[in-house]
Amino acid sequence: MSWKNIRLIFLRELRDQLRDRRTLFMITILPVLLYPMLGLGLVEMMLTFSEERRTIVILNASQLPDSPPLLDEQGIRTSWYSEGQTDADKLRVITDRGFTATAVSDVSQHDENTKADSASSQSEDHKSDGALIATARQLADKLHLLQKLEYEEYLNTKESQTADGQTQEDSPPDAGKRQAGSDSQPSGLTEIIGIREQISQMFLVSGIDVLTVVPQGYSDTLSVVRQQVQDRNSESEDAFLAPVLVVRNSADDKSASAFARVTSAFKNWEDAIRASFFADASLPQMLQNPARLRWVEVAKQEQVSASVWSKMFPAMLVIMALTGAFYPAIDLGAGEKERGTMETLLISPAKRVELVLGKFATVMLFSVCTALLNLLSMGITGQHMAMAMGSGTPGSLSLDFPGISSLLWVIVLLFPLAALFSALCLALATFARSTKEGQYYLTPLLMAVMGVTMFCLFPAIEMTPLYSVLPVVNVAVLLKGLLLTSGQSSQLAVYAIPVLVSSIGYSMLALWWAIELYNSEDVLFREAEKFDLRLWMRQILRTKDAVPAFPEAIFCFVLILMLQFVAMSSMQPDLSDNGSAADLMKIIVTQQLVMIACPAVFMGVLLTTSLKATFRLRKPSLHALGLGMGLAMVIHPLSVELSQFLVSHRVFPPIPEGAARVMGMLKSDQQPVWLLLVVFALTPAICEELAFRGFVLSGLARGGRLAISVVISSMMFGIIHMIPQQAFNAGLLGLVLALLAIYSRSIFPSMAFHFVNNSIATLHAGGLKFLYADGVFFSRDAENSLRYESPLLILCGVAAFLMILHMVRIVIREQDHKRRGIIPAFGESAPHAATLSRMS
Amino acid sequence: MIRVQRLVKEFDDARQGVFRAVDDVSFEVRPGEIYGLLGPNGAGKTTCLRILSTVLRPTRGVAEVDGLNVVRDPEGVRCRIGFMSCNTGIYDRMTAREMVEYYGRLYGIPEDRLQHRIEEIFEVLQMTDIRDRLGGKMSTGMKQKVSIARTIVHDPPVIIFDEPTSGLDVLVARAVLQAVSALRDQGKCIIFSTHIMREVEKLCDRIAVIHRGRILAEGTLPELADRYQQPDVEELFFDLIQRHEELIASGAGQRNSQHFV
Repeated sequence: MSWKNIRLIFLRELRDQLRDRRTLFMITILPVLLYPMLGLGLVEMMLTFSEERRTIVILNASQLPDSPPLLDEQGIRTSWYSEGQTDADKLRVITDRGFTATAVSDVSQHDENTKADSASSQSEDHKSDGALIATARQLADKLHLLQKLEYEEYLNTKESQTADGQTQEDSPPDAGKRQAGSDSQPSGLTEIIGIREQISQMFLVSGIDVLTVVPQGYSDTLSVVRQQVQDRNSESEDAFLAPVLVVRNSADDKSASAFARVTSAFKNWEDAIRASFFADASLPQMLQNPARLRWVEVAKQEQVSASVWSKMFPAMLVIMALTGAFYPAIDLGAGEKERGTMETLLISPAKRVELVLGKFATVMLFSVCTALLNLLSMGITGQHMAMAMGSGTPGSLSLDFPGISSLLWVIVLLFPLAALFSALCLALATFARSTKEGQYYLTPLLMAVMGVTMFCLFPAIEMTPLYSVLPVVNVAVLLKGLLLTSGQSSQLAVYAIPVLVSSIGYSMLALWWAIELYNSEDVLFREAEKFDLRLWMRQILRTKDAVPAFPEAIFCFVLILMLQFVAMSSMQPDLSDNGSAADLMKIIVTQQLVMIACPAVFMGVLLTTSLKATFRLRKPSLHALGLGMGLAMVIHPLSVELSQFLVSHRVFPPIPEGAARVMGMLKSDQQPVWLLLVVFALTPAICEELAFRGFVLSGLARGGRLAISVVISSMMFGIIHMIPQQAFNAGLLGLVLALLAIYSRSIFPSMAFHFVNNSIATLHAGGLKFLYADGVFFSRDAENSLRYESPLLILCGVAAFLMILHMVRIVIREQDHKRRGIIPAFGESAPHAATLSRMS
Repeated sequence: MIRVQRLVKEFDDARQGVFRAVDDVSFEVRPGEIYGLLGPNGAGKTTCLRILSTVLRPTRGVAEVDGLNVVRDPEGVRCRIGFMSCNTGIYDRMTAREMVEYYGRLYGIPEDRLQHRIEEIFEVLQMTDIRDRLGGKMSTGMKQKVSIARTIVHDPPVIIFDEPTSGLDVLVARAVLQAVSALRDQGKCIIFSTHIMREVEKLCDRIAVIHRGRILAEGTLPELADRYQQPDVEELFFDLIQRHEELIASGAGQRNSQHFV
């Protein structure tokens, strides 16, 4: 690899992109102009925007007490509103003072008659006021009827309950909420539901947003109560104060907002009534709010800003890093094909790796620049706008820019993120035949990334060790946390290491994919042809090989994953509800057979010519079998202690309920040991090995990509285990299993390893009670589980290391021989299949 | 200089199954010689030359350039060949000079020699006036000149022209042919693929008629005329192809009918 060539390619691509007006526009002009324009637009909108007035109707306003007065000539007194004039301006309050019952009905009559010709002599406002009040009266009548019916229904229910001799607790008169089919008094209930329906319908078309009905004699009753309080006459019965009804439609935004304003006014008015009660009865005013809650705000200005930035920056960073990478990548990949310069580049002496790296560096530069420019522009605009808008009122929102340390973190974290997106986009762009096809890939990619980012912005999502290794999630969550704490949190900074390492790992993987694509003539010289599903299927079936192809292996994994996903909903209830242990085991065995073994075997039969080669069904040497079993034995204590360590350090979330139940079942002695071993050791050993060390590994390892196939297959093996700690454990063991399969060229040593490992784990979960804990090698913890002490762990570690080292050395030597032995005939089948047949 | 032995290239095609684009092709080209590959469109010329330029890998067989195997040392091979085809376009957003300079640098030519070489080539190809013009603003003929300049900037011993005159007007085509001829006189080893008989007659020292991935006949023009009793190249070409088609149709050419396996 020559850095000079990479630099040359990088500089050329950079110059090429900079000469492209579209790219320049997307990358620089757009962010610089977009945010100020958006900001300006927003300010304009807010200035021109005025909330429409909402209509409030208050019936029986004359029944309201004179002191304190709720209403004045204009409507509700401005002083009652929490926001004073602002609220008053937004509400149009209509009361029925001045409308006698007959006058209103006349008006409404008149109104209905003259609806067609609007040329009425009366003033527009007054006329509609009358109409509204008439409608409101009708509504109020219905409401009273409803109340009456509900009360009767309540009494009935109570009666029947007492008659049945049941002692159920009294339910409030809430009959409407009950089902219509309830067998007690169906006629009453149907009526109630009918009236409710009518009220809803009437309210909807009435043009009233909130209706308030003051009960008859409200003021008088209130005076009585006032007197009672004054007299402090506890003997006399409480006067019945009928409630003031406030009707709203919470599903309607207009009604809901008006309701909020009205309620706050009523609350304040109510407080005033209460205060006057207390004053009249010479009670201390502090009775009003005996708890005397007072809120103390400790958020500093920069924290408020930090919380704003912590929501905006990670999302923008992710999305902009992706868009910034995408368009140049399309131009550099698919664009080069489309313009016919790809072959010119391919015949230059530069290696494919150099081409990809040069292009990758260009894309990444654009990704980083786009993201930074966008953030900068957005930050400055936001700050400017907050200042401009808040200048009127003191102590208003001002958005300070995040501190230097936060900004540094943004830049540090941007790089791995941009690298991942750049490599991914470049690979996709290389795969695409044309820029148009390339752009089709953007939408799903952007959707997926945005979904993940939105998830990260939930307030409850905090950094965990698991998140720190998930792509994109890790950067977004870490950045959110760091911005919230202004980059001061040393606790979070620790996570920077796994985040950076894993992000760089993912970028390398994506980059490797891009390089692979540049080495694939199928991809480089793909010709646009009509896609025909039937032909395509036939081609796949016709061009079978001894072992599956790389994409087929990937597809097998995706299929297994999808099956698990589909089955999740149907199996979850069985796992978490109280199904019997037998049911549980039935599910586990079925799942192994149907969802793991079947897809692999089915695909193997359909897509390959040699089941023997695909599933490595060769007789293993005794030596390899022994190695498999021995390795399982020495690795088990290590994996147990590692999991315990990780769990006790809260690296993983607690085990979900379903899995915990399975564990509990293992612990109890109710099931015969042989059954447990069949279910938890034998079945997975056969099914999972056939799938992952059989079909998947054979497909991935084709063409001699051993190292990468081992890594990817074990990652897949980990992923299907779902539960984080199991996934981690399985991922590690997957490495060993894959190595064992490649080393022995047979599936059976892996199966032996898997069986022994799971058997010991099953027995271990059962406590291994017969083993004597001597405290030197073995011990028992508080839960009486067998634990392994450091001398044993050291012994096991050394043994495992030696065995793995032995296998790696043999595999590397074999690879070397193969490389030097036969000249690789390029293309399909050749090297791997040849060796396989020679070995068998 | 170029040695191709029993070269086979198969493609997987959704419609036709495994398609053999190059079928057991062998030939050799010496320095100072123009070897013409004559064949109709889709005969396998481009595939064969793409294997020589290391862009495609052969399914079977050996191809060597200047003693280097195209599979084992692709970078070495690419350094020793100049390759020009209708698929090797030039960049729209680069000037003629930048384009040639860029490739010269990729070939690792020292800077002062590169500048000298560029001056020289631009002079010879009479393209000093389009030196600073962007690729997107050039005519087809200008682009072709830039392509030739790009092909020979590193002074390679082997040059491959794959239908270099397709889509050019007579004047430019003539200029291209003259350039190729001049290169032969410098002692280069040249492969020239075309479907135009006139060019073959004018230019090539030896020719191979290729059809459906197979070489039907090979030799100098007089040799071929002698062998097939047909002095006219065009007639010769049609005769060969027709005879081959008949052979396939009659089913006698078992080997050949295996294009579709």
